[in-house]
Amino acid sequence: MRAARILVFLGVLILLVLIPVVGRGTYFQHLGFLTFLFIILSVGWNLVGGYAGQVSFGHVVFFGIGAYTTAILWLRGIPQLLTIPLAGIVAALYGLLWGWPCLRLRGPYFSIATIGVGEATRLLALNLENLTGGAGGLTLPTPEDIHFYLAGFYYLAFLLMVGSLLISAWVRNSRFGLGLFAIRMDEDAAEALGVHAFRYKILALLLSGFLVGLAGSLYAQYILYIDPGTVFGFSMSVNMILMPIIGGIGTLWGPVLGAVIFTVIQDRIMTLSLNLWGFSFKLVQFHLLVYGALLVLIILFEPRGLVGLAERVHRRISRWRQARAVIETAG
Amino acid sequence: MGVILEGKGVTKYFGGLAAVHNVDFQVQEGEIFGLIGPNGAGKTTLFRTIAGIYAPTSGRIFFRGQDITGLKPYVICRLGITTTHQVVRPFLEMSVLENVMVGASFGREWVTGETRDVRKEAMRVLEFTGLASKADVLARNLTLPDRKRLEIARALATRPTVLLLDEVVAGLNPTETLQTMQLIREIRDQGITIVMVEHVMQAVMGISDRIMVLNYGEKIAEGSPQEVATNPQVISAYLGTSHAL
Repeated sequence: MRAARILVFLGVLILLVLIPVVGRGTYFQHLGFLTFLFIILSVGWNLVGGYAGQVSFGHVVFFGIGAYTTAILWLRGIPQLLTIPLAGIVAALYGLLWGWPCLRLRGPYFSIATIGVGEATRLLALNLENLTGGAGGLTLPTPEDIHFYLAGFYYLAFLLMVGSLLISAWVRNSRFGLGLFAIRMDEDAAEALGVHAFRYKILALLLSGFLVGLAGSLYAQYILYIDPGTVFGFSMSVNMILMPIIGGIGTLWGPVLGAVIFTVIQDRIMTLSLNLWGFSFKLVQFHLLVYGALLVLIILFEPRGLVGLAERVHRRISRWRQARAVIETAG
Repeated sequence: MGVILEGKGVTKYFGGLAAVHNVDFQVQEGEIFGLIGPNGAGKTTLFRTIAGIYAPTSGRIFFRGQDITGLKPYVICRLGITTTHQVVRPFLEMSVLENVMVGASFGREWVTGETRDVRKEAMRVLEFTGLASKADVLARNLTLPDRKRLEIARALATRPTVLLLDEVVAGLNPTETLQTMQLIREIRDQGITIVMVEHVMQAVMGISDRIMVLNYGEKIAEGSPQEVATNPQVISAYLGTSHAL
C-alpha cells in the first residue's frame, strides 16, 4: 500500500517534470504553470485564513504588490530573478503595514477591513501613474526565446510550489502552528495559556504575504503584462478563499486539491458552450453562480471541504469492512 | 512562605457600576485561598483583573512583589499565574492531548535542566489529572466533567506558580466534586498556590486555608473557614439580615 503510494507520487512527479520537455509551449505546460501558481496562492492564504482562522478578503494586495514590485524593479534595470525574493519581501512588509491595525479586529470585523484594504490598494495602484502606469498597466520586455523562457518559469513555479508546501507542512507541525490553531479556536483561551496572539497572527500574515507576493512576481514575469484591474482585482481575492474552502480549509492538502480543481473548472468547464433547447450560452457567463452554489453546498454539507469528505468516506468504508469481518467470523 | 499575590485597593468600574471596589488581599505562598460571595459580588471580575483580561480602574496588583497591574493575559500567564475559565473553553477541534500541549508549549518558561519535551510533559499532566485514557479524544466529544478537568489540566501544563480556578466544581455531581477537590489538594501539594472562586460552599469550606468574602464588590470578611462561616456580616449577605445573630 505504501509502496503503491510512493510509485503513484513518483509517477506524477516525473510526468510533471517531463511536460515542458515533451510538449514545450503546449497548453498543458501553461495549465501546469497556472495550477502551480494557484497552489501557492491557496496554500499561502491558508496560513492566515485556515491555520490562524483570520479570513482575509484582501489577499490580492500581496499578489498585486508582488507583481508590481517585480515589474517596476525589472523595468528599472534590477536583474529579473533578483526581483522575485524582493517582491516577496515587499509584499510581506506591506502586510505588516495593514496587518498591524487590522489584526486587532476579530472575526468578521477583520474580514470586512481586509476588503477595504484590497480596494484601497487597487485605487492607489490605479492613481500612482508615475510608478504603476495607471489603468494602462505595465508591459514587460518580451524575452528572445519565449518557449525556453516559459518552460523555465514552469519549473520555477513548480519549485516554489514545493517550497510553499514544505513551509505549510512545517508550520502545521510546529509550536508556531499549534499557537495558530489555538488562536483560531479561541483567541482568549489561547492568550490565557500564554500565546501572544497578536504577534502570531502578524507572523502568519507576513509568511502568507511573502508566498503570495512570490506568486504575483512569477505571474508578472510569465504574462509580461500587468494592470491594476487584474492583479489587484477583488475576484482574485475571492479565488484565494474559494480554493482552500473547496479543498478543505485549515488542512495541509486541502488547499492543493482545491487549487487543482479550481484551475480545471476555470479552464475547462468555464470555456464550454452549451446548446440547450435551442438556447446557446457560454458557461463563463455563469461562473459566479457556479462558485456561489459550490460554496453554499460545501459550507452546508461538508465545511471541511473535499478533504473532510474523503475522510468521511474512508471512515464509512473501514467501518463497513469491520462489520463484514465480524459477520464472516460469526458465520 | 511569604506573600505571593497581593492586591492593594483594587477597583474595577464598568461604566458607573463598581464591580470591584477597593479590595485589598494577600495570598500566602502554598495555600488554598477561597473567594466567595453571592451572585454578582465581583468574584469573577476580580479574577479577570488579576489575569490581565481587565485593567483595574485603580489599585495595584503585585506578584512576588513585582507590579503586574495592567499586563496582558499572555504575559501574566508566562510570569506564572494561569486562570481557568468559569465557562470552560477547550479548543474543540483539538484532541485532549493537543489542548494540553498548547499549555505546555507556551505558558511559563521552562526551568533549566528540565527536558523540554512538550508531548511528554502534556502526557504527564494528563496522567496526573486522570485524563490519560482520553488523550486522543476530540475535546468536542468530552462530557462536561471531563471538559472541566481538561480546563484544569491545560492550565496546569503551563507550569504555574499560582493557579486561579473559577468555579471548577459548578455543575458537577457530588462524587465528581469530591474527586476535583482531591485533585486540587494534590496540585497544592506540588507547591502550587491556589486561588479559587466557588459557589459550592461545602467544597470551598472543606478545602480552603483562608477565605475572602465579597459582597457588592467590597470585601466584607476574611479568615479561616470557621471564622468566615460565623461572621454575622457574611450570614446577612447570604441569608438576609433577619438571620444574622
